[in-house]
Amino acid sequence: MPIDRLADMEEKLRILEDLNMIYIRQIALSLKDSDIQKKIDYEIRMREGACKLLAACSQRDQALEASKSLLTCNARIMAYMSELQRMKEAQVMQRVARRSSDAGPMDDRSPCKGKVAISDLRIPLMWKDTEYFKNKGELHRCAVFCLLQLGGEIFDTDMVMVDRTLTDICFDNTIVFNEASPGFELRVELYSCCSEEDYSAGSTPRKLASKLSSSLGRSAGKKMRAALEPGACSPTSNGGGATILLPVPSVPGPKYHLLAHTTLNLSHVQDSFRTHDLTITGNEECSYWLPLYGGVCCRLAAQPHCMTQQMMSGCLRVKLGGEPQGWTNVYGVLKGTNLFCYHQKEDMEANVEPVLTIGINKETRIRAAEKDPHSKAQNICITNQYGGEEVTHTLAADSREDTQRWMEAFWQQFYDMSQWRQCCDDLMKIELPSPRKPAIVTPKQGSLYHEMVIDTSDDIGTVTDILARRIEEFELRAQLGSPPHWMSLFDEDSPRSPHKHQHLPPHSPSPRLHSRQPRSPRCHRTPGLLSSNASLTSDSDSPTSVSPCFRQAWSPDTSSPSSRFRPRTLSLDAKLSTLRGRGYGGFRCNCQPPTANSVSPRPTQTALSCSSSTSSSSSSEGSNSQESDLGFSRPSGARRSLRNLRAKLDPRNWLQSQV
Amino acid sequence: MSFIPGQPVTAVVQRIEIHKLRDGDNLILGFSIGGGIDQDPSQNPFSEDKTDKGIYVTRVSKGGPAEVAGLRMGDKIMQVNGWDMTMVTHDQARKKLTKKGEDVVRLLVTRKSLENAVRQSMMH
Repeated sequence: MPIDRLADMEEKLRILEDLNMIYIRQIALSLKDSDIQKKIDYEIRMREGACKLLAACSQRDQALEASKSLLTCNARIMAYMSELQRMKEAQVMQRVARRSSDAGPMDDRSPCKGKVAISDLRIPLMWKDTEYFKNKGELHRCAVFCLLQLGGEIFDTDMVMVDRTLTDICFDNTIVFNEASPGFELRVELYSCCSEEDYSAGSTPRKLASKLSSSLGRSAGKKMRAALEPGACSPTSNGGGATILLPVPSVPGPKYHLLAHTTLNLSHVQDSFRTHDLTITGNEECSYWLPLYGGVCCRLAAQPHCMTQQMMSGCLRVKLGGEPQGWTNVYGVLKGTNLFCYHQKEDMEANVEPVLTIGINKETRIRAAEKDPHSKAQNICITNQYGGEEVTHTLAADSREDTQRWMEAFWQQFYDMSQWRQCCDDLMKIELPSPRKPAIVTPKQGSLYHEMVIDTSDDIGTVTDILARRIEEFELRAQLGSPPHWMSLFDEDSPRSPHKHQHLPPHSPSPRLHSRQPRSPRCHRTPGLLSSNASLTSDSDSPTSVSPCFRQAWSPDTSSPSSRFRPRTLSLDAKLSTLRGRGYGGFRCNCQPPTANSVSPRPTQTALSCSSSTSSSSSSEGSNSQESDLGFSRPSGARRSLRNLRAKLDPRNWLQSQV
Repeated sequence: MSFIPGQPVTAVVQRIEIHKLRDGDNLILGFSIGGGIDQDPSQNPFSEDKTDKGIYVTRVSKGGPAEVAGLRMGDKIMQVNGWDMTMVTHDQARKKLTKKGEDVVRLLVTRKSLENAVRQSMMH
């Protein structure tokens, strides 16, 4: 039974809608204005398309976009229809006025129209710090966009996904309204829609929903209930369910709700950024709620046509210099706050500098002078204040009609300037949105708090890799080099010269490190060691272990013909440590002098000698491991990034960045 | 610029609009910045108050977009496209200036000479 009623209701709604369409078409026809009708038809088609898309699409993002288009189409249709009604009313009023006898000359001057542009919309959010810094739990995300309406034009911004990692909602679009009057009202509305898991709102019957909500848990259930209830938290949802004139077909899918709105007008126009207050509708209980700070920051600029277009142009004669009879013929162009006088019309088109520029602004006074006995028409005197003094220019037109037209143009200019007020002080720049629309969707806007991310090449793993490679190098050099002088302490019998050559067989103890990068580029650099490359690389495959390594070394050592190794009376441990020391310690004597980067006397020597050559231990060696300014040959990219990291982390530096 | 701790900063500012220059894939402005709340303010050669952690212009490339727009070395940047620069880290400031997709940046800068000029003109 209830299903029948539902279908019945839908049927009724459809009939109403058709009737509305007929009504609209009739009005449009009677006004003989096919322009608006075409627009309405277009929007209705778009709306149908959006509904179909919404019903058909499965992806959440698509559904959100389609819902946004639906809302925009509805808003536009409403706007056009109200426009139609206004025009109809005006027509009726005119007819009435014409019939009545006292239709005096309507001398209202109407101000010129202008372009109004709003850009760089930014709405700060105010998350509770507890909510912000906790990272567990699912992210409460909302899809938001702005709807901007001025006169009959409605535009929407792109959709932005907002969650608690964002500190502001930023809309990058620049929206330009072309025909705005100075008394314009720009309505900015922020719509948001909760973007949690797919609830397929509308399909789950109420009873089931309440059952589910009790079993899902309070917050999840609350969200679900809110999603099922269209417009639970605001009177207008889906763009205009307020009037019966346009019943909205209920479509499944995500629904946007009005979260905040504000109205801007001429007094808010400024060439720079300003913050305006937002009126917030909805409360914390709603699913689409976002903690707004309460303001919106944007740049609202206006270019009245009197500033950008030529309002009047024609031939004039101007008195230049001191001669009483010195009339010069010029071509005058009234544009913006100036009257430009060119030698001839072609000069203006060729962008040649004008001969004379007379300022026409709020301070200017223009009057028609007494009739010049020599000419037929009146002179026009323009007086300006330059600095402390008054300067008057006298102009004359060719005929009385021309004079009248010029005066009229000046009066209109003054009127426009009084209406557009601060927009006429200086021309505000409006950047038109570039025609190429970048198809790249910017990934989640990084939060300001998370922006100090260390470059991936700077992470600890790479640092230890570099250290490992360095150790390799040292070890290679150690094969060529000789033990440090302190090694002689172990040899009680005879002091050795530090530069005795040490022959080590190819299978020398190699500190096998867990290295991720291939070692061959490293090895090739040191000449004369190509024979040991093979040994190194083969060693790299085997797992790290200390004792077999040295056990291996132990035996060739004893068989080495070197006369240095006299039988020792030291214990095995001491012997092992000497061998280790020999393997690692050689670098100190034979390596290239460090570059400017490396600074301190390296305790790495001692550190390395005892290392069990795993990456974790090498990273734990003192404070130097992080910023390893081992300035030897290694890839310069790594060096630079490490240098940057070091510079960033070193509080003594005063960073400078080039932009 | 008067800096009284705890009070809002007041300054005589100038608006500068810089049109970025496209160099292949990069958009360059032609100046360098220094400073930031994570930097050591005593090393700033341009600031009057050595505890000022604001963002200063340390170098302006000759003929670059910044110089053409009127930016001078030693200027303190207060705002970039509406974003505040008086209480940001160095990296945040750099990021706000080098946003891809923005061809124009509108800065609000202050410099000592502006204040002097205003003071002098008020004395007449």
